[in-house]
Amino acid sequence: MDFNLTEEQKILQKTARDFLGAECPSAFVREMETDEKGYTSELWNKMAELGWMALVIPEEYEGVGGTLLDLTIMLEEMGGACLPGPFFPTAVSCLGIMEAGDEGQMKEFLPRIGAGELILTLALTEPLNTRYDPFLIATRAERKEDHYVINGTKLFVPDAHVADDFICVARTSGEPGSKEGITLFLVDSKSSGIQLTPMKTFAGDKQFEVVFDAVKVPEGNILGQLNQGGIHLEPILQKAAVCKCAEMVGGAQKVLDMATEYAKEREQFGRPIGSFQAVQHHCSNMLMDIEGGRFITYKAAWMLSRNIPCAKQVATAKAWVSEAYKRVAGLGHQVLGATGYMIEHDMTLYSRRAKLAEVAFGDANFHREAVAFELGL
Amino acid sequence: MDFGYTEEEEKFRERLAEFLDKNLTEEIARQNWEDLGVGPEAREFSLKLAANGFLGLSWPKEYGGQGLPPTYDFILLDELGKRWGAHVPLDIGYTMVGPTILRRGSEELKREFLPKIVDGEIEFCLGYTEPNAGSDLASMQMRAVEGDDCFIVNGQKTFNTECHYSEYHWLAVRTDPSPDIPKYKGISLFIVDMDSPGITVRPLWTMSGERTNEVYYDDVKVPKKRMIGEKNRGFYYMMEALGSERNQVFVPGRLMPILGDLVQYVKDTEYNGKPLSEDPLIRHRLAQAAIELEVAGLLADHSRWLESNELPMSYEPEITKVFTSELEQRLVDVGMQILGLYGQLTEDSKWAPLRGRISWYFLHSFMTTIGAGTSEVGRSVIAQRGLGLPRAY
Ligand SMILES: Cc1cc2nc3c(=O)[nH]c(=O)nc-3n(C[C@H](O)[C@H](O)[C@H](O)COP(=O)(O)OP(=O)(O)OC[C@H]3O[C@@H](n4cnc5c(N)ncnc54)[C@H](O)[C@@H]3O)c2cc1C
Repeated sequence: MDFNLTEEQKILQKTARDFLGAECPSAFVREMETDEKGYTSELWNKMAELGWMALVIPEEYEGVGGTLLDLTIMLEEMGGACLPGPFFPTAVSCLGIMEAGDEGQMKEFLPRIGAGELILTLALTEPLNTRYDPFLIATRAERKEDHYVINGTKLFVPDAHVADDFICVARTSGEPGSKEGITLFLVDSKSSGIQLTPMKTFAGDKQFEVVFDAVKVPEGNILGQLNQGGIHLEPILQKAAVCKCAEMVGGAQKVLDMATEYAKEREQFGRPIGSFQAVQHHCSNMLMDIEGGRFITYKAAWMLSRNIPCAKQVATAKAWVSEAYKRVAGLGHQVLGATGYMIEHDMTLYSRRAKLAEVAFGDANFHREAVAFELGL
Repeated sequence: MDFGYTEEEEKFRERLAEFLDKNLTEEIARQNWEDLGVGPEAREFSLKLAANGFLGLSWPKEYGGQGLPPTYDFILLDELGKRWGAHVPLDIGYTMVGPTILRRGSEELKREFLPKIVDGEIEFCLGYTEPNAGSDLASMQMRAVEGDDCFIVNGQKTFNTECHYSEYHWLAVRTDPSPDIPKYKGISLFIVDMDSPGITVRPLWTMSGERTNEVYYDDVKVPKKRMIGEKNRGFYYMMEALGSERNQVFVPGRLMPILGDLVQYVKDTEYNGKPLSEDPLIRHRLAQAAIELEVAGLLADHSRWLESNELPMSYEPEITKVFTSELEQRLVDVGMQILGLYGQLTEDSKWAPLRGRISWYFLHSFMTTIGAGTSEVGRSVIAQRGLGLPRAY
């Protein structure tokens, strides 16, 4: 057992921290909340130059050949910096192509993703999903000669306005709710029949309703096997959930850092508020939540990196970290008092994002159910 | 024991309910609690409320009231709260300032201000907090120096919420800076016209979009007759008002509409062919919220009952404050859990459920355990006043 990062991972972590500290300060994050595009090409290109988009791509596709664990280390830093923009959905889509793509698709997509030339996003959720349920898919793809025609409405599609391609989860047979009969399609975002409507959230990120109205997709754009999309999705969504956890751990750590620093500086009743036991307990509770969250996140990422079956650890991570970050955000606010509740305070960046991350890729209830299943219940 | 209301009280409630159903709207309710500024609609509603005899029931007749027991005001607060969490539109004056003027103000101040409050015409903003005086209010530094016929006030307040639309500042300032006395013994309370020369109000925006303010005083002249009670006794007046303030401001019934909205939502919304209301997890969480609301209601009623019967109150109103503010956070958490992904959508977004209210309450919920005194300090108050435990600092 070894809780240390490797030398390379330490360098990765430090590079990410330094770079984001300089290039993605909170003022920039705030600016991007109201910016229509939500990120800048300048920052995107710099990240590409550092090889970040290529991190998990195998060397034979011009990637860096890193592991999922490496990616989570970087995502933790990104969560700490509240990095805006389409890195996350592109990374998840990239993992999706690596999971399910054929040789031709890998060759076509991975090098360009790695070079920062392509932005991708996953179109999964639908109006039927009043609760997160990746198999409750009603969007239909029907075969017509050598292509498919997709009809349906997708919701909460991140960064759809800047995506070059969607991975659209559609049903090719069976009924909503069934894991069978789902197929993944790579859809060019410029295809005719795609209509976007922004879905405004309180975190200022960019999510969209994406309506697919008789969108034609060549047969060759099926990602993985026909009707096997449900099986492909499972590991993709597991990885996505762990990646989300890494972001959350990074954010939670930042909250604790802010709260601790403030508890040392802010004086009331002639002493630092951090000397009051009530405040100390808040800070310790945050630390416990974060340490546990970080370890389970890294354990799940490590297991995924080594192809060790880990459905239980993944679900444990997302269930725990989702609620841990929520608690940490609440306690962070509590320690910071009225100051931290003002929109200009960085605390509000984190508490708003904590809620989004909590419900992304399944909330704690969803993942507790998965743990129960793993227990044989 | 008797947990009911008298026949007259019930009659009053019915009359009031009928009036509110006709005249109160969600828009008016939110103009008060969003703190953006009470607009013409809420001002008009305030005047109507007064004109129909629903304000000042428990206030003395000589200042425009009806001389009834406080229960009537509590019924008013409950009935307002049931409807979109509404409050008395100009609630700072009505629930916090007015009662202190009544208790400690000069006859002249009573005659000048109380009838206007009861008529729903004027609003106050609270001037307590300073950058270095939050929980430790007694350490406030803003200074008033006594002159011949007025005090000259200099300094800064912060998080003074209603200052951008109210007529008067209810201001606590240091009138004795001597280091030899305990800090709380050098503070006085004043009523200041917000349009006095030398006052600058700057907005501070909160994460839920409410407005609060920084307020700067630069040689502001405040007439001596605008001082409340005796000089240097202000902090005592603030503390003695706290109990009744808590009773009037922290109304658990104001949370009922959130629960009501959620109950409706889970009945109307299906997941996989079944209404969400059939999900045991959701049922239990909503049931738990209802249980807590009932308990909160009783804690509040107990404290109100003490006040209505002029029995001594110590820690009881603080329990209402801590419990209700934390209950709001738990209730909103249930709501966000039920709404799932949809909870993040703002009011103006397509697909936003329940008019975006839960999402707003979520953002707002971070302040409930901070504003008007934090939960940590509240718990110390309960332990010290209620259980006689020693102070640690
Ligand atoms: C939306 C909003 C509106 C407001 N409106 C007004 C207004 O209209 N007028 C006005 O005057 N004020 C207003 N306030 C200010 C409010 O009263 C203060 O925020 C509150 O008193 C706490 O002070 P603080 O924010 O400076 O926190 P601090 O006192 O700095 O507290 C920071 C943390 O330290 C803890 N702490 C402090 N002392 C102790 C202790 N002795 N023991 C244990 N823990 C302790 C606190 O509980 C908190 O967790 C408003 C605040 C908000 C958020």
